[in-house]
Amino acid sequence: MPAATVGQTPSLSTFVKSLKTNSIESSIELLASLLKRRQIKNSRQCALATAQLLLRVVAAERIKDPQKLIDRIRDVGRRLVAAQPREMAVGNIVRRILGVVREVIESQAGDDGSGSSAPSTPTSPAHRQSKRPMISHSFSSFTPLSHSAAMPYDMHPRPGTPMDSSASTVDGMADLAAPRRPGLASSASYASTAPQNASLLSFLEHPLGRSPAGTPPSRNSPRMTPVQSSTELNKEKIDIKAEVIDGIKELLDELEVVDTQIAESALDHIHSNETILTTTSSQTVQKFLSTAARKRKFTVIHAEAYPNDHEITHATILNGGKKSSGEDEEADERWKPLTALGITVILIPDTAVFALMSRINKVILAPHTVLANGSLLAAAGASTIALAAQAHHVPVVVLSGVYKLSPVYPFDTQELIEYGDPGKVVPFEEGDFMSKIDVQNPLYDFVDAELVSLYVTNLGGCAPSFLYRIVADHYRVEDTDLSAKTG
Amino acid sequence: MSTVAPEVTAPSAEDQKISPAELKKRAKAEKQARRAAQKDQKPEDEAQSAEPQSAAATAPGVNGEMKAHETPASALQQQQPKAEKPQKAQPPKLSKQGSQEAEPHHKRTGSQAQQMPLRRRPSQTGPPTKVAPKKESKQVELFSHLYTQPRRHTIEGVSKDVHPAVLALGFQISSYEICGSSARCVAMLLAFEEAIQDYTTPAGASLARHLTAHYLSPQIEFLKSCRSISESMGNAIRWLKKLIVEIDPSTPEQEAKDELCERIEVFIRERITITDQAIAASASNQIKNGSVVLTYAKSSIVEKTILEAHAKGTKFRVIVVDSRPLFEGKQLATSLMHAGLEIEYLPFSAISHAVKQATVVLLGAHSMLSNGRLQSRIGTASVAMQAAKRDIPVIVCCESVKFSGKVALDSIVLNEIAPAEELLLPTRSTPSKPAPKDGDEEAEAKPKALSDWKEIPRLQLLNLMYDVTPAEYIRMVICEYGSLPPSSVPVVHRLANEGM
Repeated sequence: MPAATVGQTPSLSTFVKSLKTNSIESSIELLASLLKRRQIKNSRQCALATAQLLLRVVAAERIKDPQKLIDRIRDVGRRLVAAQPREMAVGNIVRRILGVVREVIESQAGDDGSGSSAPSTPTSPAHRQSKRPMISHSFSSFTPLSHSAAMPYDMHPRPGTPMDSSASTVDGMADLAAPRRPGLASSASYASTAPQNASLLSFLEHPLGRSPAGTPPSRNSPRMTPVQSSTELNKEKIDIKAEVIDGIKELLDELEVVDTQIAESALDHIHSNETILTTTSSQTVQKFLSTAARKRKFTVIHAEAYPNDHEITHATILNGGKKSSGEDEEADERWKPLTALGITVILIPDTAVFALMSRINKVILAPHTVLANGSLLAAAGASTIALAAQAHHVPVVVLSGVYKLSPVYPFDTQELIEYGDPGKVVPFEEGDFMSKIDVQNPLYDFVDAELVSLYVTNLGGCAPSFLYRIVADHYRVEDTDLSAKTG
Repeated sequence: MSTVAPEVTAPSAEDQKISPAELKKRAKAEKQARRAAQKDQKPEDEAQSAEPQSAAATAPGVNGEMKAHETPASALQQQQPKAEKPQKAQPPKLSKQGSQEAEPHHKRTGSQAQQMPLRRRPSQTGPPTKVAPKKESKQVELFSHLYTQPRRHTIEGVSKDVHPAVLALGFQISSYEICGSSARCVAMLLAFEEAIQDYTTPAGASLARHLTAHYLSPQIEFLKSCRSISESMGNAIRWLKKLIVEIDPSTPEQEAKDELCERIEVFIRERITITDQAIAASASNQIKNGSVVLTYAKSSIVEKTILEAHAKGTKFRVIVVDSRPLFEGKQLATSLMHAGLEIEYLPFSAISHAVKQATVVLLGAHSMLSNGRLQSRIGTASVAMQAAKRDIPVIVCCESVKFSGKVALDSIVLNEIAPAEELLLPTRSTPSKPAPKDGDEEAEAKPKALSDWKEIPRLQLLNLMYDVTPAEYIRMVICEYGSLPPSSVPVVHRLANEGM
């Protein structure tokens, strides 16, 4: 529909469409400007757009030297992040993809034995495994990840699993302290954990079959594929590009199913007759609640998040929602409003949160970004809600896809806050008021980690204090600072 | 008022030689029978239901049947609290006026009973089973004790005793034209003053006895029907009643009225006007050069305090936090703006950002409760909480007339519910409405607007007026007796409102 792309206001869907026709350079420019103009906003949309763009970038690249690919992705990532530094999802996705590339490169180096490009001493597969902290096993097996379980290589790599399991028993702390690059530290940790190969953990892992697939595919598939290819007597150098593209596609898949995965644990968190408070309209939260609504009866108290999100909140309550990824075409996945599922929904202004908190069982929030120490950024008003919940000893549950998790530590929270259109607070028609009074409209609130009781991610539930591990699992230390120049 | 109700119904019931309770029971049983055996048994029912009416000897068989039908139906179908309250509230008034608005519950004279069914018939005689599920309660269950009859905005059904000044005031209050605890209290006293001047004691009654019970009560009832009265109004009414009772019966009428009016004037001056000045003077000392004052919504006394500090020449900044749906803070910001102050205006969602800069939080009160908690505009508690978490002093400015003997632990037991319609967005939702209509292909899937909320099952809107701020968030209460910790509120309350 070329006409649509012209007529429509730019959005994620128009951007994705234009990706097919535009050149890479102009696509990058376009996304950067869309981000700048906030025509693509929300973590999910930013993440999708970034992943789609990088998919194109990688596909177009002619790779001779893998390091070039990394540099290229870093460069694109840097431009996108610079365009909108507060949309951390962009940076997160760039880092994830960089992680995929590094994984592929290293595994390839390992399989080659002598390691033509790898800077380190010859590494066995186990070495490579061990340098990734694998503590996530405990919860990765907890979330069934249907789509990756269906992957063809799923059944293959039995020979690979023992190595995996040895990795899984690696002491997490030792590993964290160790540099992420293959080296002495990793071999040391390997040595220390080798005797535990036959431990209970490894035993548990087998019947579950490819449980590491529960963790994001981007991390696992590249690791597994080399093993597969090695069983095929490494015919030739693995096609790095194909591997990376696979990895990105899996990342896109993950973004697609993240809400469903989070919603799967809804019944573990919501019991009958609860009163749940939520705010703004989040696809993740809505899906979570409607999954629970199929089995349980509860009451939802919905704060409207005036003045920035109240309209969309009202719309969600009244009409349900649709998947925001394919706004108009792409037979969008709609869901019914909660009221249609037999749930009583009480719409309240934000002011009533404190008054009602004493009768609320649980607060469910959706973050904009989750920071590495477990604190989060969410729509303005979230801080008041979380504080009121703490004052009344009400648990706060945060639903967040892993893609929202950012390796950034909050040193200056103020700089993370974005300010919005003051015209939403006071219409510009009131010129006198607007000109003489400083009207402000912050979009986000910083919520400290200690106010959050539980995170529910697509990998399962975890305490805020554990998030740093998931960060370590998903991002390479080398990529944490995208702007830094590294070799 | 509920105590009067049995009084009224009792004599009429005696006429019929049947107690109301018995009648109700019988009617209920009848309805059940009718449900079971539908229309075939109609004649039988008529005979049964006509029985109690036979004493009155006015109602024909058909009417009797319909009335009997109605009683349980109305009790069941209308939402419980709504159905009950008017029944209790209206009879005393109605019986005095002989108005036509009789509730079916109280069957009395034939003439009333005859009109009722005729008027109600179309809606009520339709199959009751069909109506019952459709009429879903839009009241939040947790707050069902707070839903009274909807606020009065029309003159319809108002007692003739209500004085025009009070009448006008009632509508001003219900439309928020006069808003705020003190303003409403002053306006009420002024209206009462006028009403008292127009009062004449009927022959054979003394002013002290007649004025309160038969003249002021309808005025107060009317004001209550417009909007629940505030704590300050309650205190003032209590004071006024006490004053009236203490009047020497031998005083000539005009003299007594003049004295009452004068005392009311003094009350307004002493307890509110001058008090406000005293509080403003004292509270403005809390604002220093370079202070950043945070305030929420609008309180006249906070406004006075800020203006006073500004007049003293203190250089400071004001942050006004405001909220939907009343946007009172905007008025405050506007008036401070005209005074030339530096103001920042933030929506409620931005409190956490507002408290970051603030050095002192000044709050007004709807009422100070005896357990040291503050009842104020909804949202105040959140502001106080955010400030207290950052160790910013929260100071409440409150006249002692607003101190209350009541105690509350949460905002749910004591509160007022404003009409949920206030939460609808008239200006912004209208332009968005035509847009979906353009794409008329899917007429049924047309997105609903919030204004349709009543048609959407299980969707409820809640619009509370007040919340209760825990005492631990409040650093200081400034009243005309001085600055005190919240724990001293009951002491001052006894001194100011009960000791006099």
